[in-house]
Order: sequence, then C-alpha cells, then structure tokens
Amino acid sequence: MDIALTLIGLLGGTALLIYAVDVVLGSRIQTINFARTITNISLFTALIIAVLSLLNVISSENSVPNLIRNDGLGFFFSIVVLLISLFVSISSFDYIRKERNELVYYSLLLFTTLGMVGLSFAVDLLVIFIAWELMSLPTFILVGFRKNYKNASQYNDAILSNEGAVKYFILGALSSAILLYGISIIFGLTGSTNLDYAMNSMINIDSNNVPLAILGTVFLIAGFGLKLSIVPFHMWIPDAYEGAPITIGALLSSATKKVGFVAAIRSLIIIFPIVEINLSMILAIIALFTMTLGNIAALTQKTITRMLAYSSIAQAGYLLIGLVVLPTSSLGLVGLLYHSFNHAVMQASAFLAAAAVSYKLSKTSLNSYEGLAKIMPITSFCLAISLLALAGFPPLSGFWSKVILFASAVDGGYMWLALAGLVNTVVSVGYYGLIVKRMYMDDPSEKKPIAEPKSIISVLIFATIIIIVTGLVPNILLDHITIISNDFLSNYPALP
Amino acid sequence: MTDINFPIISLLIFLPIVGGISIYFVNKILGTRGVKLYALLIGLIELALSLYAYYIILNGNSGAEYNFIEGPYPWINSIQGIDYYLGMDGLSAPLVLISSILSVLVILGSWDLIKERNVLYYSLLLIFVGAIMGVFTSLNMILFYVFWDVVLIPMFLFIGIWGGPRKKYAAMKFLLFTFAGSVLMLLAFIMIYFAATPHTFNIPELMGQIPYDLQVLACFMFFIGFGVKLAIVPFHTWLPDAHVEAPAPISVFLAGLLLKMGGYGFIRFNLGLLPEASAAYAWFFISVGIITMFYGAIVALRQTDLKRMIAFTSINHMGFVLLGAFTGTVFGISGAVFQMFTHAGAIGIMFMLSGYVHEFTGTRDINVIKGLKFSSPRLATLLVFGSMAAMAIPIFSTFLSEFMVIVGAIQVNPQYAVIAVIPVITVSYFLWMIKRTVTSTPVKSVVKHDLNNLSTVALCLYLLPLLLTLIAPWLILEMVDPLSHLYVELLNGSS
Repeated sequence: MDIALTLIGLLGGTALLIYAVDVVLGSRIQTINFARTITNISLFTALIIAVLSLLNVISSENSVPNLIRNDGLGFFFSIVVLLISLFVSISSFDYIRKERNELVYYSLLLFTTLGMVGLSFAVDLLVIFIAWELMSLPTFILVGFRKNYKNASQYNDAILSNEGAVKYFILGALSSAILLYGISIIFGLTGSTNLDYAMNSMINIDSNNVPLAILGTVFLIAGFGLKLSIVPFHMWIPDAYEGAPITIGALLSSATKKVGFVAAIRSLIIIFPIVEINLSMILAIIALFTMTLGNIAALTQKTITRMLAYSSIAQAGYLLIGLVVLPTSSLGLVGLLYHSFNHAVMQASAFLAAAAVSYKLSKTSLNSYEGLAKIMPITSFCLAISLLALAGFPPLSGFWSKVILFASAVDGGYMWLALAGLVNTVVSVGYYGLIVKRMYMDDPSEKKPIAEPKSIISVLIFATIIIIVTGLVPNILLDHITIISNDFLSNYPALP
Repeated sequence: MTDINFPIISLLIFLPIVGGISIYFVNKILGTRGVKLYALLIGLIELALSLYAYYIILNGNSGAEYNFIEGPYPWINSIQGIDYYLGMDGLSAPLVLISSILSVLVILGSWDLIKERNVLYYSLLLIFVGAIMGVFTSLNMILFYVFWDVVLIPMFLFIGIWGGPRKKYAAMKFLLFTFAGSVLMLLAFIMIYFAATPHTFNIPELMGQIPYDLQVLACFMFFIGFGVKLAIVPFHTWLPDAHVEAPAPISVFLAGLLLKMGGYGFIRFNLGLLPEASAAYAWFFISVGIITMFYGAIVALRQTDLKRMIAFTSINHMGFVLLGAFTGTVFGISGAVFQMFTHAGAIGIMFMLSGYVHEFTGTRDINVIKGLKFSSPRLATLLVFGSMAAMAIPIFSTFLSEFMVIVGAIQVNPQYAVIAVIPVITVSYFLWMIKRTVTSTPVKSVVKHDLNNLSTVALCLYLLPLLLTLIAPWLILEMVDPLSHLYVELLNGSS
C-alpha cells in the first residue's frame, strides 16, 4: 500500500465529500454533525496510518517516482500536521459552533491538511509548489472566516479578521510568486526540478553561475520565509493570528509553519554544497534576528493572540538553528524535528486554551487572564504547563528540544548562536511567566468558576499529557527521530 | 564505598515529589488537617532516610567518594551521556541532611502561618523538597540542571501567591534573575560536554578532562550561574526583595536551601571540575567574596525592616562560603560546607521569628517594635538566641564555621585577616536590633501575645543542630574533611 497517496486520497476525498454535502443538502444540524464526525474520523484514521507506517518504516522508497517519497521525514511531519489538525477540528466543535458556513470550515480544514501532508512527502520543486498553494489557499479563507458581523460587539472582530486575511493573502500571493521565481532559477541552473538531480548538479556548479544561484537562494528563502515566519517576512503573522478564529491561529502556527520547515529542509539542502554561498551563516543571522525580534516584541503585547504570534516568530528562530547546523552537526536535524513536534503541541495547546477563554469570556486581552486559575482551573493549568514548556523549563518536552538545538549549535561551531538563543530564552520567560503570574497570583474580577468547554478541554488535557510524558521519557520520540534523521542525511553524503 | 541494594537517594527525591502530586487525593479523603499531617509524615520519613544515609557515610568514613551510587542508566538512548546518575559524598550529605531537617521544621512552621490554599502550598512544598534533594545528589549535569530548574517554579509560586504586598514584583524578579543565571550554566555544561571524549555529562567521568581555556570560560559562566543563586555581589539584588516578600517559612527555604545550591555548585563544579582555572583565578573569587561580606554586613547595619536586615545577613554569610571555597585549603573548604550547614539553622530561626514578630506586632519596623521582652518573653528569648547564632557567638557552631573560613583565608594570605572585622559589624547590628526591639521600654500598655508551645519547640529545634555540632564538630568535619583534602590536592596539583 502506498501510504502517501492513501493519505492524500483519504483527506481529499473527505474534503470534497463535505463540500458536496454542503452544496446538495445545505447546512443543517444533521449535515453539520455529519461533517464534524467525518472530519475527525478521517483525520484520526490518517493519523493512525501515518504513525503505524512510521513505526514500520525501514528506508525511504519512492511513491510516485521522483515526485513524492515515502520517507521518515514525510511521515514525521504528516504526523505533526494530522495531530494538530485533529486538535483543531475537535476544538472547533465548541469554538465554531453555530457560525455561518460551518461545513465549509471543516472542508477547508481538510483541504489545507491535505496540502500540508502532500508537502511533507514532496521531493520535487513543482510538487512542493503545488502542495504549498494547496496548503495556503484554504488558510487565506479560514483567516477571514469571521468577515461578517451581526451586531456592534462583533464589528471589531470582523474588521480584524478582514484586515488579517487581506494582509495575509497579498503577502502570501507575493511569496508564492517569489518562490516560483526561485524554483525557475534553480531549474535553469540544474536542468531539473527533482531535488536529487538538482543536488547532483549543484555539487559541480560552474563558478560563473554562482551569482544566479545566490539569487535563487534568496528567492527560495524569501518564498519559504513567509510561512516560516522568519524576520523580515513576519509582518503578517500578528495581524493574521489576531484576526483569524483562534483555532485557525493554532493551525497556522503549529502545523503550517512546521511543514514550511520540511519544504525548506528538502529544498535548501541543495544549496549547502555551494561553498561560495555561506548558507549556514545567512540562516544563522536570520535566526538571530528572528528570535530576538520575536521575543522583544512579544514582551509588549496586550492580547494573548498577538503575544503567542510573536512567541511563534521567536520559536521559528530557535528552529532555524537546526537548519543552520544541518551540514556540520548530526544533532541539528534531530533538534529541528524534535522541536517541531514539541513546539506544535505546546503552541497548539496555548492557542486552544486562549480559544477556550475567548469562547467563554469573549476576551483575548492579557488583563482578562487575571485570576483565571479560580475561574477556569483546568484551562489555566494546561495553559501554564504549555507556557512553561515553551519557555523551556525542565522536565517538560520543550526543554529537551531546546537543549538539543543549542547543543547542536555549539557542536556545529555556532557558539554565539547558542548564547543568543539562551539569552532569548530568558527574555521569553518575561512574557510567559507574566501570564502564569496573572493566572495564579492576581485576583479575579469574578470569583465563580464557570463551566469549561468540554471539547477544547479534552484536547488540552491530551496535549498536556503529551508535553509531560515526552518530557519525562524523551526516548519515545527521540529514538524514532534519530533514525529518521540518520536515514535522511544518509541520502546526502556530499554535504560538506 | 558502602554496599546497599536499596535506592535510598531515589527514594529521597521521588517520595516527596510523588507525595506532593498525590496530596490532592489526600485532601479529598482527609481534608486540610490530613494534608498537613501527610506532609509532616513525608518530611519525617525524609529526615529518617537522610539521617540513615548520613550515618552510613560517616561511619564508613567515605566522604571522599560517592556512596549509594545509582546508575548511570541512560535517560536518552540516542544521545550518549545524558544519564540518570545519583550519588552522595561528603559534600552532598550535610546539605541533604539540613534540607530534610529544614523541611520538617518548615512544615511545622507553616502550620499556623499559612492560612489559604493549603493543598497547593503543601504540594509545592513537597515538590520543592524532592527537587532540592535531586540538586544535591545528581552526578549528571543535565539531571542536575533539571532539578535546578524544577526548584524555581514552586519558589516562584510560593513568593507570588503567599507573599507580602510587593509579592508579584519580587516573584518575577526572582524568576528572571535565577533563570538567567541557570541558562548560562547550561551553556557551560554543553560546552564541557563537547570537550570531553567520549562526550558525557557525567561529573565523575569528566574530572580532569577539560582543557584549560574552556575551564577559564566555564569558570566565569558558572560564576554567574551559581553567583546569582548564592546571591553574591553584584548578582544579589533579587534576594532582599524575594526574602522580604516571601512568607516566613518560605524565607527559611530561600535562605536555608536555595542559596546553598549556589555554594554547592561552586564547590562541586568550579573546584571539582575546573580546578586549574579555579586555582588560577582564586584571587578574583576571593575578592568578590570579601566584597560581598562587607557589602552585606554594612548594608544590613542600615536596615530598619527586621526581615530585610536578616536577608542582608544572608548575603554577608554567603560571602564566607565563596571565600572559604576558593581559599583552596582544607580549613577553607570544610569551613565553607560547615558554614552552609550552620547558616541554614541560624538564618532559619531568624526568619521564622521575624514572621512571628510581624504576626504579633503587625509590623517589622525595628524602630517601631518596642519592649518585646515584656509582651512576648518566649519570642524575645529566642530572638536573642537566634541572633547569637547568626552573629557567631561561640555557644553555637556558626562560630566554628566562620572561624575556620577566616583561618583558611589567613593561611593563603595574611592580608585577608581583614575579614576578621566582619563578625564585629555583624555583632553590632544584631545587638543594636536587640537593644531597640527586645530590651527597650514598651510605649503603650503591654498586651501579652506570645508563642504557643508547639511553635516554641519547633523554633528551638533549629538551634539544636547548631549546639550539637559545636559540642561535636567531628559530626560534620569527619564527613567533609576527606573531600576537602581531595579538592585541595586537585587545586594544588594543577597550579
């Protein structure tokens, strides 16, 4: 059985089915329940298939020759994506309940998941581009999902949602164009869009072509950079995350960004052999600016969604460290993969906790978190755990992946980057700790505990268990990640 | 080496942690009083275990080597050198012992003073105790770092939830300062890891493996990391805020145990792992130690808040630890460890007393409190005894420990005899405080308000180890001396 195609067929089929149901039968209680159920079932089935194949994967094999490859990296990232999509879809039970176009929401969620899963397996630049677009287009719509307003209280939300969506769409379209231009330059240089052929041509590149290769590299970084949320392509992030339904914010920061990294790993690795372009140093400088700007900007935010958006930018800077030392340290890719998983779960948990608060109290401002521990105890606990994990406190999962990333930086000869990352971690405690302080130390405006939304709470508890267990027993994941990483790197013996 | 099949250190660490998490179920069944008794029971078991471990090591005269070793069991398979590895030597054992003594006393002291959110309080307290045991017994640097940071979160919440008026500010300041110190320490650990062949985080395997250049760099990174915890000048500014705002029993933990983590780190890592750099730059650390002592003592003289004054006394006393450790003499190193042990008891009773003074008089202002000897005779008596312990009067072993450090310093360089002035300043501010609060005449009519029997006994228990170790100092010194000799050899062999 060909796993990648199975997953694509399963997700795409379900997405089309939901859309067809909407067109034929219209939006009714029965059809909405059907859509919710079938979305969860298909995501869950896909997740199980991906996990089982990851456990059995021995070495990579081509699915569609030269276009899609069933390798460990693909399985790993599709697991991340499917897990987060499942979280988002379950949380949407409560969060999106009774909004307009609920069916379309689930359909679009599946389409973007489909794009992300496709992107994890793609090994051809054109397939990467197509999957990239399939992933992006539904998210443009999802960010602007709340474009209408019924009464004055929703007016502000609608404005933010429209602003975020338009900004995201314009920049997204621009980045697609830039990405395509970069791909065409690489094609011109190497004569192939297949990354393996491209790699072989790049090793023997003519020194006259190096300026063109530099241009291609810059375009690739700029094109991918938008989704990776790296500085200076980060402008849309806070607006889009703030305007989007918070569940979609979770999807964007946890899932979309992570598969951006898999595309970046697979494509940018062909640049490393060109010694004239010191790609590691370029990425290291970008990583430095990304983490510093993200953390410092996060300190001054007034709403939780914007704060998490900037925190997500900062974390992208840590993740880039793994890419920087990809050729020089075997720990780099391990750290990148592990932090991708951990950050996806932690960030999704934090965003969904914010969604629970916003759903119950209709507030996202940081001040509304004062004394939350007395009003919504379970949400507060899960949010506190995820924030502490994001800050890198042991023995939670975020600690291990950060240690591995910083260790890989030291190992790969980027001591200063590790130091910058650690200093940034201290800065990040400033805002993560401040929310914990608000929830547990400040006095609430109202004392009565309120009922917490069940579907979001169940997701939060599950995510918290993942954070704690993978923190205490990192071997569960790290053993597989090491195999995946070694398997992937063994395809590129020519790395300097 | 003692041969024992039962994982005593793991029990010391995980009994309170598991107990702290399960306390929510105890609360469901037995209620708040049950929670307190449960915490006390776990504290007593800890005390018994650590006394037993202490006795075994003392009896076997094996302070220089690791006892009760557990591991190394790999924690992460794919990255070598991250192991679960525990052991206890002559440096760990006194600190583990004083930790369990203080945890029992703090649980007793919290009985009346902590009135709200009891379940969360005792849960965090037990987790804190477990983590601190882990700090003092870890033989793997990553394991050490994990426990080191786990200590922070309960302490952050203690200060922030149960603290005084400026608790939130103090809690955030504490968290940021100590976390900033610990990440630098982590970076140094990672650099040491890659310098060793084979790569490892295990302390015993790393001994003598680290090249000199890295030693110097790591030495100063550790200086910041441990210096923040030990609260030496210039990293001390979090300490007065945290100590003053924390509730009295938590101040005992802060001064009694948390600061000791820094002292432990300096001796274990700077002296043990980086002996060449430590010997070469000893002058720097000694100078910082002397500055810290004078700074703490002089600033304490000017305080009007009783608790703030005691907090600065801590800074003063921690200077002795830093100084003693880096003299590189047997007297100095043993004296530093001894000082950590005695300071915990002396400062513990003073912080508890300041809590009671605040409770009885409604203020901690030394100039406002008058005539304690009339209104609260028991409290006044204990305040005098506690002050005598803190200012190193020779009826308590604080005298011995400070004396040893001073002797160690003079052995290195007679000019360091200048620090003999320090006890004079200390005595002066304590006596001045006693004159103003205890022996002064009361302003208004005297309202009797004194300690109850339980609190009196609990407070006297702080002084018991100090008295005992004055009469029988060999209880500590025979434990520490073999290790000090080892470290002195390491330091001299290299310079």
